[in-house]
Amino acid sequence: MALDDVKHIIHRCFRCGYCKFNHSYSDFNCPSYNKYRFETYSAGGRMWLIFGLINNELQWSDNLANILYACSTCGNCVENCRFVKFNEFWVDIIEAARAEAVKNGFCPEKQKNLLERTTNPEMFNPYAEPNSDNEELKKEYNLLDKAEWVYYIGCTSNYRQKDLRDSTLRFLKKAHIDFTLIDEHCCCSPIIRTGQISPVKDFMNYNVEKIKETGATKVITSCAGCYRTLKNDFEKFGVEYDFKLYHTAELVKQLLDEGKLKFKSNYDKTVTYHDPCHLGRHSGIYEIPREVYKKIPGINFVEMKRNREDAYCCGAGGGVKIGYPDWSVEISKERLEEAKETGATVVSSTCPFCRTNLSDANDKFNMGFEVIDLIEILDQLDIEITAD
Amino acid sequence: MNTDQILKDLQNIVGKEFATNSPEDLYIYSQDPGASLPRPVDFVVMPKTTEEVQNIVKLANEEKIPLVPMGGGMTLSGLVLPVKGGIVVDMKRMNQILEINELSRYALIEAGVSTGQLLAYLNEHHPDLQPAIPDAPPSATIAGNVLIHGSGYLSQKYGDHGAIVNGLEVVLASGEVVKLGSCAVSDYWFARGPIPDLVGLFLSSFGTMGIVTKLSVQIFPKPKFREIVFGLMKDEENIPKLLLEITTKEFIEDVILGKQDKPEWMKGYIFFMVYITGDSQEDIDTKIKILKKTYRKNGARYMKATQKMIDLYIEKPIFASGAADFRKGGGFEYVGANMPLEKIPEAYRRGAEISIKYGIPPTLGSRLIGQTHNIVMFFSYSFNRADPDDMQNARNALEETNHLALELGGIPWKGELGAQKLTLQKMDPNYKKMFFNIRQMLDPNGIMNPGNWSEEEN
Repeated sequence: MALDDVKHIIHRCFRCGYCKFNHSYSDFNCPSYNKYRFETYSAGGRMWLIFGLINNELQWSDNLANILYACSTCGNCVENCRFVKFNEFWVDIIEAARAEAVKNGFCPEKQKNLLERTTNPEMFNPYAEPNSDNEELKKEYNLLDKAEWVYYIGCTSNYRQKDLRDSTLRFLKKAHIDFTLIDEHCCCSPIIRTGQISPVKDFMNYNVEKIKETGATKVITSCAGCYRTLKNDFEKFGVEYDFKLYHTAELVKQLLDEGKLKFKSNYDKTVTYHDPCHLGRHSGIYEIPREVYKKIPGINFVEMKRNREDAYCCGAGGGVKIGYPDWSVEISKERLEEAKETGATVVSSTCPFCRTNLSDANDKFNMGFEVIDLIEILDQLDIEITAD
Repeated sequence: MNTDQILKDLQNIVGKEFATNSPEDLYIYSQDPGASLPRPVDFVVMPKTTEEVQNIVKLANEEKIPLVPMGGGMTLSGLVLPVKGGIVVDMKRMNQILEINELSRYALIEAGVSTGQLLAYLNEHHPDLQPAIPDAPPSATIAGNVLIHGSGYLSQKYGDHGAIVNGLEVVLASGEVVKLGSCAVSDYWFARGPIPDLVGLFLSSFGTMGIVTKLSVQIFPKPKFREIVFGLMKDEENIPKLLLEITTKEFIEDVILGKQDKPEWMKGYIFFMVYITGDSQEDIDTKIKILKKTYRKNGARYMKATQKMIDLYIEKPIFASGAADFRKGGGFEYVGANMPLEKIPEAYRRGAEISIKYGIPPTLGSRLIGQTHNIVMFFSYSFNRADPDDMQNARNALEETNHLALELGGIPWKGELGAQKLTLQKMDPNYKKMFFNIRQMLDPNGIMNPGNWSEEEN
């Protein structure tokens, strides 16, 4: 979405400040406003700055770019803005303004790395890792080239959270899912969020083509970021696909509902769930993972004070982790402190990027949690899944 | 002014990250959501403690730089936009709720506590108590609201929100800290007196007397049951007798009335929203019957509202900011005139005429303050922020309305600079003299939000 497409909306922000809060007003729920505290760093402040840019009352500067990039695009503003006719666009507008920053040469250096790495033909991922064509995994898990499902692993799971990836692979095998892998390139979430959109459509078309080659009609991912991108962004970039998209939590829930998944062991721990912004506020999935956790025998499932639409961001998204690594982990620390209040010993999520940042905070600040994805919990349990 | 040195000094006081003069920050703080034209700001600073405020004031006094204290910045009338440049002191980092006294029913808070924050805190920790908060968004601060003689929830029952102030801690222009109210004598911030009441000097003086850093406000018991009884009236002449009759009932918590052309069902009517309280549903039902009869007897009729509508208004705070999108333009401002009851019918008539003259759909409203002792009348004008002509049109309408309010015996509330000047013109000369003398004594260098309550041309 270009800034021109939303130009007619930006000035309609009244800067009333609902966007800073959670639903009950008990907390400021916008991570960047929480940190910087100047009005400038609220969603409303950013809208007015962007309006100032459009009107030529402001000029691009490093500081202006920094203000726009110090937003984790968590969507709390979208959730809490009371102007229902157009509140859905706030994150899109931030991303569109970042695309303008890129055009004008003001993309911050650290975020530029995301594009350089992602477009590097040796990598195709933002982690600067050699591209994995996933052929070895296919061999290891005995996966054919053609299948009903594609497991779209995503870069974070494939290069940073391999336990999560492997747990997913094992789960899919246990569930007798006929699936395969593709030589995937980045879903483009990191470069879309940071406004570096020039190669996005090509990447999307590539991935869709690769999926088509497998003959799959269903695509599953264990990454909330990939899920949000495939679900919401492909259409915005004019890339169509005809497969059905699943997050792993949705498949697990379906198997439970159909009575195919049986637990044979207990998980005797107190667990709290961190809603990933990309699965929650961006995709509207709140209850499905909860229903899965609650069905695990032995589990003591507890909620953090801010949950579902009110969940506080882990601080990794929107290019914040690469752009502001120390602050990003401090945001996760705040989230873990909230988790502490619940008495949980396990903080679980359904997003490898949240898992990464929460784990980083857990380690850095010795918070003493076990940070683990839902699918990894299932991997630790003795489960039985019947085939169709 | 040695800008670099002053920034450095401010950063030494509050920490590097909480003092700024970046063009982007100054751009944001040079404008508010109302119709005022932008006014330049030199610095923005966010103190965390009273001592930091003292040090900022001392620095400003040495350098003769204006200081403009800011809460939520939601007055819409430009009160936190510097008239003569200077430092905006954004108080929102001073956000500690220091004490809730359940027996004497007050909240002792720092000046940056938002209305939403106090509401949520009481809901969570003291569910039997409720704050008096404005119709403004939850980002408005309690201090900002009470210091402008705010009004809103519970105003009908307990008076304007200036009246709920028990005491203040203020940093004067000299840098001294003064305590006002019972806290000047006692450890308890439970009342305003009985000592000479100087709290009033700091109400509606828009930061020209000092910077409030701490305050005690009354909080109130929450009723077990609350309901809204809607009514409609064709002829505004009947407003006074209906309001007089309604306020003879002891169970009326709030009364809001209004007239607007949108949505369609409101067109041609004065609508009433009467908040009633009770101990049981049965009690409420009886009171609804009493009110229906009161409506019938006084030229109005009961209007059955949908549950959705009741839910929308019964939760606090209501979404008053909705008016900002009436012209799809992100802006509205209103003249909020405190008025005597007898002039309200004329205010509705002539207010609508002004709206029509300026091509803005009439959006008029009012709230009772302390039974019928005072009514705040809202003459609201929406505008399109992206259209400078439309904003000028709103400013013209506001100016004409200020004249009307004063002509009718009202007083513009939290008025923008133009309204302040008109009010001063009509003010008793000796009141004005006393006010200016006190201000001169407290602030000889004229650093406290200069240009406000001023007869000078800006």
